[in-house]
Amino acid sequence: MKGSVSAELLLLRKRTSTWILLGIWTALASFFSYLLPYLEYRNGDLGGGPGEVPLEELLPQRLAGRLSGGFPFFGGVFALMLGVLALGSEYGWGTLRTVLVQRPGRLRVFAAKLVALGAGLVPFVFAVFVVGTLSSYAIARNEGIEVAWPSVWELVRALAAGWLILAVWAALGVTLGVLSRGTALAIGVGILYALVIEGLISAFADQVSVLEPLVEFLLRANAYSLVEGLGASTTGAATNGPGAFSGPYVGGTQAFIVLAGYVAAFIGLSGFLLRRRDVT
Amino acid sequence: MSRARSRRGRANTEREGVEPAFVIETQDLSKHYGERILAVDHLTMGVRRGEVYGFLGPNGAGKTTTLRMLLGLIRPTAGSALVLESPPGTPQGLARIGALVETPAFYPFLSGRDNLRVLARHAGVPEMRIEAVVEEVDLTARARDRFATYSLGMKQRLGVAAALLKDPELLILDEPMNGMDAAGMAEMRSFIRNLGQNGRTVLFSSHLMSEVEQVCDRVGVIRSGKLVGEGTLDELRGRAGLRVRAEPLELAERVVSAAAEVEHVAIADDGLLIAADPNAAAAINRALVEAGVEVSELRLERASLEKVFLELTQGGED
Repeated sequence: MKGSVSAELLLLRKRTSTWILLGIWTALASFFSYLLPYLEYRNGDLGGGPGEVPLEELLPQRLAGRLSGGFPFFGGVFALMLGVLALGSEYGWGTLRTVLVQRPGRLRVFAAKLVALGAGLVPFVFAVFVVGTLSSYAIARNEGIEVAWPSVWELVRALAAGWLILAVWAALGVTLGVLSRGTALAIGVGILYALVIEGLISAFADQVSVLEPLVEFLLRANAYSLVEGLGASTTGAATNGPGAFSGPYVGGTQAFIVLAGYVAAFIGLSGFLLRRRDVT
Repeated sequence: MSRARSRRGRANTEREGVEPAFVIETQDLSKHYGERILAVDHLTMGVRRGEVYGFLGPNGAGKTTTLRMLLGLIRPTAGSALVLESPPGTPQGLARIGALVETPAFYPFLSGRDNLRVLARHAGVPEMRIEAVVEEVDLTARARDRFATYSLGMKQRLGVAAALLKDPELLILDEPMNGMDAAGMAEMRSFIRNLGQNGRTVLFSSHLMSEVEQVCDRVGVIRSGKLVGEGTLDELRGRAGLRVRAEPLELAERVVSAAAEVEHVAIADDGLLIAADPNAAAAINRALVEAGVEVSELRLERASLEKVFLELTQGGED
């Protein structure tokens, strides 16, 4: 198992797309979380309207909440792509059969991929927090405000929540990659789900009563609920661009359980399919 | 030449004492895809330890499906198989098998060496083995280059290197000469022959008679998922006869017919086709010359494997 994990980590590390996704996610997260709102603030556009962020939100004290808000949707899409690429491209290149005839057994390969993917998500979480830390520190210094940091516990919870949310999306990506035995359709369907399907179900839930309980178990609703419990500002999510989310929110414990359940369900289904189906 | 025999009992007996003679045994192995497609149909075959076995058949005959079932990539719909005394696809069996299935599939963004490193880690093979196999397939100069930049021949050689990583007892190679130029094919043929001479068992599939003819100890011919012939090359070709060109032909026929060693004589293509033990050639030649017949040619003649292959793969159902 150790050898297989090390093989999968080597693959993930040497893959250009991993670094491209990490770079884009980090750059965009810092741009939309700090640079753009700060420019807005500096230009004097603050008037309390939608999309405008008070300066306090951009300071180090609010770091955990500020950055956590980007994980449920925006970061999720990057993790989804990473998950799809981890399994889907093995079908596309035909490398799954090359690996499977080496010896390890299907479930061992699958487990190794999941461990490597889980480890690969750690830099995705940390990179955003490192860039966020630097950005918020620079803003505080530029404004001449004394720097105050969030507690370690708050940061640890935010990092863990961020990782869990990315893990759910990555597991969804893995499942879609295995189901479609490729990458293009899996990424397309995943983004369609993230951008459209959940939003439509939420929208119709107001009119169709049977959908109401369902909404509380949707992926994004629980992800936003988890970070809201950590102090993330989710007001912008209601109106800002694609993936806009206006609730309902559920309790933090329910959110955690539902998200962990999603991870287990996605992994279980993918593992079952990988074990049962022919590799052609 | 088709067979329907059970080796299971014999294999079990062999297992009790010495090493089993067969490293691959299938019994009525079948694979259906839905209702309509029967890719492999009750295939019963055996590959003996230490031989180079050619699995021959036209495109779409079921060769790749069979090899994938032997490697555990595809589940059979019916029947059974044992590979190195293990069911197909088990880690203990795969640890002793090297395989190249269809076109070599590797990670395009990794170098040849890194691709082998990934596979070695999965297989639990020490990484020092990588240099040995890279050298064995003559890829050392390009091992640091990305797989995506390799020619088809180089990809094929990397595939063979991957198959050799575990220093396997059994090699399963699916159309290993696909896409190679003449020089590459000759090199691969010699390579496979050497593998066989070093005590390894090699099962390789091909749709080209010439490849199989030059390399294999035994051949199995598959058509529409069924094994329609199996044996050594000589067994498949059938018994050899003699061809004689002589003048006058009628006198030659009379002389040959009278010879005790001759079973049957026929005139064909301005010569005689003689059914007789090839060792009788000298005696027949002497009898003809002593009878005043001018013999311009006397040679051993056997049905070409190409002809046998075409008969087996294009003929009616057995």
